Amino acid sequence: MDIFTIWLDEMKKALRDDGVRIFFFLVPFGYPLLYTFIYNNEVVHEAKMVVVDQADSYWSREFTRRVNGTADVQVVSTCTDMKEAKTMLDEKKAYGILYIPSDFEKDLYRGKQTTVSLYVDMSSLLYYKAFLMSATEVSLDIGKDLRMHSSPAGSTQLDKIMVEPIPYDSVALFNSQNGFASFLVPGILILILQQTLVLGIGLRGGTEREKNRFHTLVPISKHFNGTFRVVLGKALTYLMLYIINCIWVLWIVPRLFSLPQVGNPMTAVLFLLPFLFACIFFAMTLSGIIATREAAMVYVFTSVIMIFISGISWPEPAVPPFWKFVGLFIPSTPGIQGFISINTCGASLSEVSKQYHLLWLQTGIYFVTTCLVYRYQIIRCHKLVVRQYRYMKMRRMLEVKQAH
Amino acid sequence: MTLKEGLHAIGAISKRELHLLTSTPTFMICIFGSPLICLIFFLSLMRAGLPKDMPIAVVDLDKSALSRNLIRQLDAFEQTRVAFNANSFYEARREIQKGNVYAIFFIPQDFGKDASSGKQPHLSFYTNASYLIAASLLFRDMKTISILAGASVGQQTGRAKGYTDDQIMATLQPIKVDTHAIGNPWMNYSVYLNNTVLPGILQLMIFFSTVFAIGSEIKYGTSREWLTMGKESMSVSIIGKLLPQTVAFTAVAFLFAAFLYGYNSFPLNSGWGPMLLAIFFLVIASQAVGVFMISVLPTLRLGLSFACLFGMVSFSIVGFSFPVAGMNPVLQSLADLFPLRHYFLIYVDQALNGRAMIYTWSEYIWLLGFLILPFLVRKNLKNALLYIKYIP
Repeated sequence: MDIFTIWLDEMKKALRDDGVRIFFFLVPFGYPLLYTFIYNNEVVHEAKMVVVDQADSYWSREFTRRVNGTADVQVVSTCTDMKEAKTMLDEKKAYGILYIPSDFEKDLYRGKQTTVSLYVDMSSLLYYKAFLMSATEVSLDIGKDLRMHSSPAGSTQLDKIMVEPIPYDSVALFNSQNGFASFLVPGILILILQQTLVLGIGLRGGTEREKNRFHTLVPISKHFNGTFRVVLGKALTYLMLYIINCIWVLWIVPRLFSLPQVGNPMTAVLFLLPFLFACIFFAMTLSGIIATREAAMVYVFTSVIMIFISGISWPEPAVPPFWKFVGLFIPSTPGIQGFISINTCGASLSEVSKQYHLLWLQTGIYFVTTCLVYRYQIIRCHKLVVRQYRYMKMRRMLEVKQAH
Repeated sequence: MTLKEGLHAIGAISKRELHLLTSTPTFMICIFGSPLICLIFFLSLMRAGLPKDMPIAVVDLDKSALSRNLIRQLDAFEQTRVAFNANSFYEARREIQKGNVYAIFFIPQDFGKDASSGKQPHLSFYTNASYLIAASLLFRDMKTISILAGASVGQQTGRAKGYTDDQIMATLQPIKVDTHAIGNPWMNYSVYLNNTVLPGILQLMIFFSTVFAIGSEIKYGTSREWLTMGKESMSVSIIGKLLPQTVAFTAVAFLFAAFLYGYNSFPLNSGWGPMLLAIFFLVIASQAVGVFMISVLPTLRLGLSFACLFGMVSFSIVGFSFPVAGMNPVLQSLADLFPLRHYFLIYVDQALNGRAMIYTWSEYIWLLGFLILPFLVRKNLKNALLYIKYIP
């Protein structure tokens, strides 16, 4: 029964603590919405481009027109020289220059390969991608049309082979428009769950230390006598709160913004269970190490590191061995990898067994460390009580002696 | 209060603050610990500039000399590593789902025979776009190899028909697109990310440290003592308190710059002056925002929460990964409220592109504009310092 006393006590305190309310409720509620909102346009539409058309001919204008027609690029202006175009880049009126040389049309008609040049402002890689894809697509298109024009009777099978001996096609799996939100947000969501748990539990620990008489993590009470009881009772509170958070963060929010969600919900649940356990015990262990309440929040800077260690943006094989090793100790590393496999790529549990086992392993290790932390705190609390008792007793005896 | 008295008070408070900074571990973590950890982390993570040897799976149903040659060439690319030879597409797809490979290169049956007999066999490649960066880099390699394969077959066919190589290229690809990535021709990710992520970490830590310094005075009830030392003047008290942090953070920030532009020789087309100035402005602008945070929410834990949340969002809203111009218009105007956003725009103009100052000066003014914030809420903070009693 003591587990439930502790569970109830923890639940009440967590709901009453300002800082905890921010990290257990406000952030898990608001942050996923904010982040998804930021990335939700998925791709850059209508990236602004300026064209320097020195050929000023039918085909060069056609090239410009078609580039402008693609969804990703908008031609904001056509200039006659590079200097003018460069000024537009300087003024941020455009982010890329398409340069069509004066020989463009002449070369095309003479059957000579011609080159158009693309100059891209590298403030964002997405501009680069948008310009390159659109220009390449149009150049291939126009190439085909030209060949039809130059030899209308030549569209025999043999010519087609000559023009396109090995056609190829490419498919972007699981995120067909190569969208930014579909790629980054699932990882961020998992990280939000872990980091808010650490910060919330850290704040709770800090409050306890400030309120308790001997600045220990556990109060003096007979209910708080057994290590397992305290650890399990508290963990139960956090688990219950975070099951609700998971539903909002990982199920409702992705739906609201139609992010990819092809996984089997049951698989996701089975996978998230050890993830939550690992996060909770990870957080409880950390809360035992960090002594003051507010200082714990410096921890937030690790989020940036953790998202990169997880391999979602910087590919995991390229992460140096030392950081990979560090990543093994963080629940979000297998958490993000596994969740993306399940949720975005539709993997089954057996396909993410590596991550799944690692999460259970982390759960086990952090459970033991949490118990050690709490055991130490309980013993310390006892010692302090006993010392205080002896001190009081001694003083009383002295007082009695003096009275005599 | 005369100027001399004011300076004297600032000096005295700074001295007191210096003692607090060096004796509180939290400050040491904020100012030195976490920025240096992040510096080491990010520079070592992206040392290579671009990720190398990313694993892909190959499904070779042809197993001819031509297909094996293609695979060998693909593997020879610096960024691609053929890690898995699958017998079927299904098997390869499972490897993707497991997260073992990022892409599949599919060579159909009779590919070699069909290619040489002019039957136009299809090459297909699939990328796991839920890992966008790996996917787009691998896409590039697989596309190149497909084009090369086509070109070599086309060349053979063309030569057989008696065309010259120039004619063949003009037929295969009449228009070539030649790209120039201005300022970062190597497409180096370290340049691209670290120029913004590292100052972002600094901004976060400055918010935190500023709020912590002032909030602690309120929490531990020492704010009256502090104000008395500042002769009851808010400006004197705050300047005295934040000055040691300004110096320390500026030093750390300059160290960052030395690593980025000196040690790693990242593009610095503007020369050192404009960037060092921008970094210094970023430091003081972030401090001003920090003062604003604790003035609006004058309890330590709420102020710090504000600092954490605001500081973390700036990494996304600054627009170095997903451009601000591509975001919702509401977010586009919100982005201006983050000092890091203006720093990023200065970096793009100055270090990356080496543009004339006329295009950038307004961003410097923006950063200085943040210094007005503390004045708007000074009454709020003064009340908090004088009357709030800390309730745990």
